Amino acid sequence: MLKKNSTRCTLFTILRHTTPSVPKHHSPLTFSSHSNNHFLHTSSPPPPFSPKGRSFHNPTWFYSFGYLTFDGKRLCSKSAESVKARSSRCWNCHESTAAAPFLVCDSCRCIQPVDDSIDYFEIFGLEKKYDIEGVNLEGKYKDWQKKLHPDLVHSKSQKERDFSAEQSARVIDAYRTLSKPLSRAIYMMKLDGLEVDEEQTISDPELLAEIMEIREAVEEATESESLKKILSRMEENLKSWSNTFATAFQSRNFEEAKDSIRRMTYYSRVIDEVVKKL
Amino acid sequence: MLRVAAKRLFVTPSPAPQQAIRVLPRFYHERVVDHYNNPRNVGSFDKNDPTVGTGLVGAPACGDVMKLQIKVDEKTGKIVDARFKTFGCGSAIASSSVATEWVKGKQMEEVLSIKNTEIAKHLSLPPVKLHCSMLAEDAIKAAVKDYEAKRAKATTANGEETTTGEKAATA
Repeated sequence: MLKKNSTRCTLFTILRHTTPSVPKHHSPLTFSSHSNNHFLHTSSPPPPFSPKGRSFHNPTWFYSFGYLTFDGKRLCSKSAESVKARSSRCWNCHESTAAAPFLVCDSCRCIQPVDDSIDYFEIFGLEKKYDIEGVNLEGKYKDWQKKLHPDLVHSKSQKERDFSAEQSARVIDAYRTLSKPLSRAIYMMKLDGLEVDEEQTISDPELLAEIMEIREAVEEATESESLKKILSRMEENLKSWSNTFATAFQSRNFEEAKDSIRRMTYYSRVIDEVVKKL
Repeated sequence: MLRVAAKRLFVTPSPAPQQAIRVLPRFYHERVVDHYNNPRNVGSFDKNDPTVGTGLVGAPACGDVMKLQIKVDEKTGKIVDARFKTFGCGSAIASSSVATEWVKGKQMEEVLSIKNTEIAKHLSLPPVKLHCSMLAEDAIKAAVKDYEAKRAKATTANGEETTTGEKAATA
């Protein structure tokens, strides 16, 4: 498990905890919405493409795989229909692919520059929803790091090493954000344009008085027994407000969603303090 | 003395946002450290005391809570004493500590004009911690508001008592 305090986050330390079920060669994440464009992957690698004497204004026109001539126009219309289909081109071998997320080129295995339009859910091949029970986030995270980690690119160009550092960091961010319910909730709101206002102060007397009481109890607690009781209570609260958030967000009730996030933040703070004390 | 506020880990403040951004080396200003090591006015008054106004505010973004209480002289309207209890970062604790120091000896109307920018300047708060001083300003305002509300309730209650008293006398 990735620890925040580890000084060196090498590929080795990440994979040291690999479960035996993880396959050696991870097949690229593809979405079922690609039907026409999917054949790009199933065909054998195309002959090396030489750009002599051709203009680059519309590069998608020139790719052909045997009898399959790629129509740029068709690709555009397909992108308009399917949400996740993007026409991406490898900077190294100029292979075009509509697979998402496009972090590594499948033909030449070159790491691509960071594309901020790919959100964290897409990186892990997940639907944009709050409940991710049963998703093997850690497994997918490790699979990505096997392809992107800076430890793998020592012999590659500076450009690719930079891409590797950025992509790897982004995947780490994505993993951390999505693995905890509170950060996942805040991220989902952010994707919908609802950012948490740092400046805002609240004076909800009921909530604040409750938190005040709990924090004081934590301060004054001397034995770990009482602290553990408080901890379990807080974790219960967190779970229940997490569910409240899920329903509120689903029904687009953003006020209630924001309120749930507020409470989750407060309870998480208490949990942090108790853990520190224990 | 209850060193509630003093029980905070002395670490460089990390920014609230979740994304990994490069953190420039930042240090607590010596005034902030001073307020942390030598907290002034930590504690509570009795909430039900009619001369006490309690301001309870929170910053949901970082999960801070701040309680600021003022003791007011009824005749002169001057704040004679103040106490605070804050659960939050060093900057939040220092801001509320400074707030309690500044309100002492002032008139209630006067303290309403204390601005968060003044507190921030006094403590040399970095931009990422400005909301802590905002919290302190809101706490002062909330405490004054609470006191006035209490007083208003008390005077109406007194008014009712005297009228019922008169009624009883005339009956």
